[in-house]
Amino acid sequence: MFYKVLDDVKVVEYGNFISAPFCAKILADLGAEVIKIEAPNCGDITRRQEPFLNDSPGIESSGLFQYLNMNKFGITLNPETATGKKIFGELLKNADIFVENNSPKRMKELTLTYKDIKKINSRIVMTSITPFGQTGPYRDYKGCELIIAHMGGVGYVSTREGNKNKEPIKYPAHLFNFQAGLSAAAATMIAYYHQNMTGIGEQLDVSEQESVIQNMNSAVARYSYGKQIIARTDILDIAPAHILPCKDGYIYVGFVEESEWRRFVEVMGHPDWADSELFKDAWTRGRYWDALKHLMSEWTMEHSVEEIYRRSQEKGIPLGAIRTADQVLKDKQMAAREFFVDVENPQNTNLTYPGVPYRFSEIQRESPLAAPFLGQHNEEIYCDRLGYTKSDLSKLEEAGVV
Amino acid sequence: MRNSPLSGLRVVALTWVWAGPWMGAILADMGAEVIKVETNQRLDAQRTVKVCKDVGAGINHDQFNITNRGVKSCTLNLKQPEGIEIFKKLVKISDAIISNFAPRVMPNLGLEYDELKKINPDIILVTLPAFGSNGPDKDYVSYASTIEAVGGLSASFGYHGENPVLSGTYPADPIGSMYGIVGLMAALNYRTKTGQGQHVDIAQSEGVSTLIPEIIMEYVMNGRIRPRMGNRDEIMAPHGCYPCKGDDKWVAIAVGTNQEWDATRMIMGNPEWSKDEKFSDQFRRWQNQEELDRLIANWTKDLTAYDVMNKLQKAGVAAGVSLNVEELINDPHCKKRKVFVEQNHPVAGKTIVYRSPWTSALTATNPPAPCLGEHNHYVFKTLLGFTDSEIAKLIDKKVIY
Repeated sequence: MFYKVLDDVKVVEYGNFISAPFCAKILADLGAEVIKIEAPNCGDITRRQEPFLNDSPGIESSGLFQYLNMNKFGITLNPETATGKKIFGELLKNADIFVENNSPKRMKELTLTYKDIKKINSRIVMTSITPFGQTGPYRDYKGCELIIAHMGGVGYVSTREGNKNKEPIKYPAHLFNFQAGLSAAAATMIAYYHQNMTGIGEQLDVSEQESVIQNMNSAVARYSYGKQIIARTDILDIAPAHILPCKDGYIYVGFVEESEWRRFVEVMGHPDWADSELFKDAWTRGRYWDALKHLMSEWTMEHSVEEIYRRSQEKGIPLGAIRTADQVLKDKQMAAREFFVDVENPQNTNLTYPGVPYRFSEIQRESPLAAPFLGQHNEEIYCDRLGYTKSDLSKLEEAGVV
Repeated sequence: MRNSPLSGLRVVALTWVWAGPWMGAILADMGAEVIKVETNQRLDAQRTVKVCKDVGAGINHDQFNITNRGVKSCTLNLKQPEGIEIFKKLVKISDAIISNFAPRVMPNLGLEYDELKKINPDIILVTLPAFGSNGPDKDYVSYASTIEAVGGLSASFGYHGENPVLSGTYPADPIGSMYGIVGLMAALNYRTKTGQGQHVDIAQSEGVSTLIPEIIMEYVMNGRIRPRMGNRDEIMAPHGCYPCKGDDKWVAIAVGTNQEWDATRMIMGNPEWSKDEKFSDQFRRWQNQEELDRLIANWTKDLTAYDVMNKLQKAGVAAGVSLNVEELINDPHCKKRKVFVEQNHPVAGKTIVYRSPWTSALTATNPPAPCLGEHNHYVFKTLLGFTDSEIAKLIDKKVIY
């Protein structure tokens, strides 16, 4: 864990890939006991996802899996078997929170719907994360990062500098799967607070599509009040709000207030063209952006990213250095806040991982624990916790239950 | 709002633009009483900066009404000593303060955590600065795009083989909002157990970095910078967005397994080209994805995007329309799930808002966003006990302003 806050909270995770594991990671980082249930033999799908240490695949060496599952207990269990189902019930009986991201169909097959689980544990908070939620015509539709980015409306407006002949695109990596897991964690913590106060449980129906939609306020406002349908071509009515090339990389240059533009003109050494009528306000700069981009790029190309970033920020101008992973890892600000953490991993080399973005003034930060290897805590949970004997456990293993 | 998860909780919101307000709106959805403290001295930028033509509703208009729905608004000028005194009275009767102002603002007003806890010992303060409230760059200024740039997201965003570009949305802000809720709820749980209040400080840029571990770990593990890939995936193909019938209409298709590829071929009517050796397994499809994308686009271009999505989904293949905002709001699935709600704002009129990204039996729909100072009477008279004549004087002196 990073902070001992939820140390009396028991969580069962039956998740795969990103959204549910990330939701449960956030709870584990805050000290909750998270028991992650994986399928025997193959485990979570992210065990087989890039990046792998030294490009050598192995179920204990995926950086994505290791990150998503630090601070958790890991057990294997097959809930399709009768005994597996019984054990699952025993785990849920003692849990405060159950986090999962299986399809509604699959949960019904396993008799693990909220209705089923409520019979075992009436006060449980069940967080269900699926691409399109538990109800509605698309509830059984398949979704992945690509699909939810486009179905959530973000694809259609990406990128700002695109045009109609170029296809809408998604965000990098699995940003929206992660954002859905984060939203689910916020929902879960609110529901847990309520449960703690009143003893009342509930099912949280988290839709990844709706988690993407929360990014759409500008497009929805334009439609709501102006009946405008924003596409990739017509967002750029003001400028600059762009990324420009520098000597050694790229910089984000964007302003909301006119005074910011005027201060940036000074940073550029007040070139003559800056006084032209064509660039007198954000809208005319938008209209003549092609010309302005050329003029500004001439200057930015002569300077380094850091130089432009620092000089602008010192004058209170909100430019942003476009940082690649190596630069983020070296960032002095993040280092001063000790954001990145080294995790001791008995299975692997010690590696640096992103930490958590929050700091608590009254709670000491602790060191996180490495993600479990497949079935690492079977004995601890099945024998010490649930009272099975070691010979029971080996029989369960032979029978393919764990 | 009886039975709501957060009923009885009072939150003071020193919020503006997006990350703070959206956090407040969600807390309000969950039953908290969220009181936004605003001032004419410096209006919330979303009351003044407009994305669409002003329809005459002035400062009670536009994006502000989406991101601030459900909260209450009072006006208080914190540049005046009397304003600070009244603010402190509000702190005394509240559970938490949330703020996404720059980290220097609250200390400059004498409202840092150490001062606030003297007024209310178990108060929780949640701050959402761009880069954190400590460290050498803490006073650096930002918009969401700045945070996405510095957090490491923007460098990987763009078309395959091209320069990085800006997106049409700003996820850094709602990411900050959700982390804000996580931090607040953690602190509330801690307070329930120990009686101890807390300052929770959340760096939004770090928040962005926690959502892209593949990009960070690729460098840590293999020393590589992730290239920009547009819609492409590391292993899946086809995995793209294809043109459909109509003006600027597109459908996204993601095929992983051979079974999904066979289903896709069947829906396409088993064209001759699809039997080619070079598309026979996932790795070959991935290697030959450019050609594959052209051939699939040739199939989708005469069909509607909805048609392609529904047919492929019924065959077990992940596909989805690249929805524009109008299609999104009117989509049968979103309609059924009541994702978008039409509100009647007292000044701006018909306003479309969207609800929190989850539902449960206990969440509620909220009133429209407040007009500036709409709840002054409630806050200053009902909650804080000022008389009408005292309030009139405070308005005269531009303390309530």
